[in-house]
Amino acid sequence: MTDPVLILLYIFVFPGFFFLFAYALFLSYLDRKIAARMQQRVGPPFWQPFADFIKMLGKEVINPDGVDVKVFDAIPLVALAAVMTAFIYVPVIGLSPVAFSGDLVVVLYLMTLPTLALFLLGWLSRNIFSAIGGIRAVTQLFIYEVPFFLALLTPAVMAGSWSISEIVVWQQHNLWLVFLQPIGFVVALIGLQAKLERTPFDIPEAETEIVAGPWTELTGRRLALMHLTSEVSLVTGSALIAALFLGGPLLPWTLSPVWLNVAAGFGLFLAKTLAVLLILSSITVATGRLRIDQLNDIGWKYIASVALVQVGIVLVINYLWVTP
Amino acid sequence: MPEVVVPIGPQHPALKEPVNFRVIADGEKIVRLELDLSYNHRGIEKAAEQRNFIRILPLLERVCGICSHSHSTVFAKGIEEIMGIEIPPRARYIRTIIAELERMHSHLLWLGVAAHEIGFNTLFMWTWRDREAVQDTLEEMSGNRVHYNMNEIGGVRCDLTPVQVEAALARLPNLEERIKKYMDMVNSEETLLIRFRGVGRMSKAEALKFGAVGPTARASGVDYDARRDDPYLAYAEVPWNVVTDNQGDVYGRTRVRVGELWESIQIIRFCLENLPAGPVRTDAPKNAPKGEIFSRYEAPRGELAHYIRTNGTDKAERVDIRSPTLANWTSVAMCLINQNLADLPVIVAAIDPCVSCTCRMVVVNQKGSTNKTNSPDTGVAVRDLGSRLSRRRP
Amino acid sequence: MSVLREMIENLFSRPVTILYPVKKVPIPDTFRGRVANTGERCIGCSKCSLVCPAQVITMIDGPRDVEFKGKILARKKRPQVDLYKCIRCGLCERHCPTESIHLEHRHAGTGTDRDVRVT
Repeated sequence: MTDPVLILLYIFVFPGFFFLFAYALFLSYLDRKIAARMQQRVGPPFWQPFADFIKMLGKEVINPDGVDVKVFDAIPLVALAAVMTAFIYVPVIGLSPVAFSGDLVVVLYLMTLPTLALFLLGWLSRNIFSAIGGIRAVTQLFIYEVPFFLALLTPAVMAGSWSISEIVVWQQHNLWLVFLQPIGFVVALIGLQAKLERTPFDIPEAETEIVAGPWTELTGRRLALMHLTSEVSLVTGSALIAALFLGGPLLPWTLSPVWLNVAAGFGLFLAKTLAVLLILSSITVATGRLRIDQLNDIGWKYIASVALVQVGIVLVINYLWVTP
Repeated sequence: MPEVVVPIGPQHPALKEPVNFRVIADGEKIVRLELDLSYNHRGIEKAAEQRNFIRILPLLERVCGICSHSHSTVFAKGIEEIMGIEIPPRARYIRTIIAELERMHSHLLWLGVAAHEIGFNTLFMWTWRDREAVQDTLEEMSGNRVHYNMNEIGGVRCDLTPVQVEAALARLPNLEERIKKYMDMVNSEETLLIRFRGVGRMSKAEALKFGAVGPTARASGVDYDARRDDPYLAYAEVPWNVVTDNQGDVYGRTRVRVGELWESIQIIRFCLENLPAGPVRTDAPKNAPKGEIFSRYEAPRGELAHYIRTNGTDKAERVDIRSPTLANWTSVAMCLINQNLADLPVIVAAIDPCVSCTCRMVVVNQKGSTNKTNSPDTGVAVRDLGSRLSRRRP
Repeated sequence: MSVLREMIENLFSRPVTILYPVKKVPIPDTFRGRVANTGERCIGCSKCSLVCPAQVITMIDGPRDVEFKGKILARKKRPQVDLYKCIRCGLCERHCPTESIHLEHRHAGTGTDRDVRVT
């Protein structure tokens, strides 16, 4: 897999840019459809997210008074590029060809960039609603980031490696980590829900309180790209959790023709990310929005302490059984 | 952050109707509130002076879409009392049935809107789905989903056929089951409890001082319901209970409204099963004798009052509408001080605001102040009321 | 947890949305739709015009012979309603002595011509 043409194909076509774009739109459709059916509504048709994207690209871009247009144009692009780059390190069909030791940290860092982009957008918009929304986005980032990182650190500790691909290989030879670290799995799901800013954590974008928060002044292609960023974050986050806890795209045994192995792995990847999406959609439908100070309470009192407990348990298990 | 002015309104996704809250916030805490309510003023009180008693009822119905039957009934019963005529019992029961159906649809709508304000869209979809059964019943009985136009001076415009009564009774068991489920949900659902409890608390003394009415006051323990304390229509003959709560916050108001939904179903079932036979209207004279009357009615949002003055002609000389939302705005302005900015839509939604009902003409007499609006076309001196109250707080 | 159970039940049942325009919403018979006047029974008494709250009915010339209570009368006027200003309150139907002007079952619909009149 060191052939540069193959690597370029991997990054741009499959499972890189184009596949990611298509899969992000598909998962967005499924998310809205499942939520609608749970509320006994019909939900959007299959091409709806694609149609939304094309429509928003064609709309007029409105620049508020006194806003720095170049920075405003650049921020959604940077956010989109960050999450798309993060996806190529996550195993999709077998291991990632660009994996290296420490790519887990890189992926987590890249997935933080959209939140910082939202904060910058809110701050630069010269609009009271956006400013409040941007501040809330960063406050929320501080609150959930600690337990989220802790919950994603424990698989690395147990597998003894900082590379996602090696963690997946470790799970192939042992159990899925969701059975060994169930608490970590739950905390990681909650953290992912907060990172994606979905109910009950959609505090920065509270429609009934601050219009649209940092998204207020985004129009036209900027809104299209930022919306695509949040959809791609959903895919990257689900794929990350599927890789770290649910065993990724590897079967416990290898099948004989190579293409069958790859196809089965891809099928597993799809199934596992869909399972994670189902859980996330259910959480979105079943709850209402929290207030930022209530999130502060819950985040530090319960979620962070539970994550610390999980780290402690993993260290004990490691010391007693896993390390030789 | 220093104090900033967050303009909630006149156009805002949280508001269904235009109203201007200028919230002065310090970070996430609300320091002061300046209220301007005059955006929906349409001059209905003036237009009502030029219409005779047949043509005035559809106009008064259109003061508000959700409590339309309330306005038309309170005026009709006031004029009937001035004229000294008594409507037949079947007409009284039909008016009661429509009134309680309207209360149900209003409270189900409110439950959905309150859930939407906290981002809980699932409950919003479910309550509005159940509201469709009530709307279908109203459409069968009166011909329209809002603005039923069932009243006329002397009785009711049209009768209820046995088929309609059967169809309405058939819808009630499903609604009862859904309301039981909502009562459970309100008592046990974590998100509702965590967002509604302790928010916008108002003690009984404060509720009485600020003149709160309706479920807002009953949730603070004020035991007043115009259906029991000044009985009209069929309420004296139907067994029902007043629902109060003594928590005083948004959670208490939710519980009062869901309780009232349950009571409404019992009233509707009793009235439908015991509908007296007979005519549905009596003849009313064309002119009303000279007199004035203060007519009260328990609308879904609280106590609605019409002051009517007649002068012997076939038109009302003056109609003054004191809607329940107008009485509740002061309590909102006071409850919001020192609350979180995120709780503002919740507290405003908890009084079930109907800005169309509110925009009447109010003259506030301030000693020594030159701000006294008197012309019936401009709106309201409630702006003065709001800022005067805001200056009073330290 | 009742929310969770209901959500999962809903996932496996049909949505309640009526798929308009493929399926139509059932409309009751008492629905107050578009205003119409049957010419044969109308005696042109102007009662509808007097009680209309929105004052959208004007009486125009229309001489004809109408049978009323066993006699043939020569009547001169008939009502003309501004269709899009009508608020469909039903007062004209309620006060008409011959049950001539009434509200139909169908909607007034939409249009771009403001001056549609129904006679």
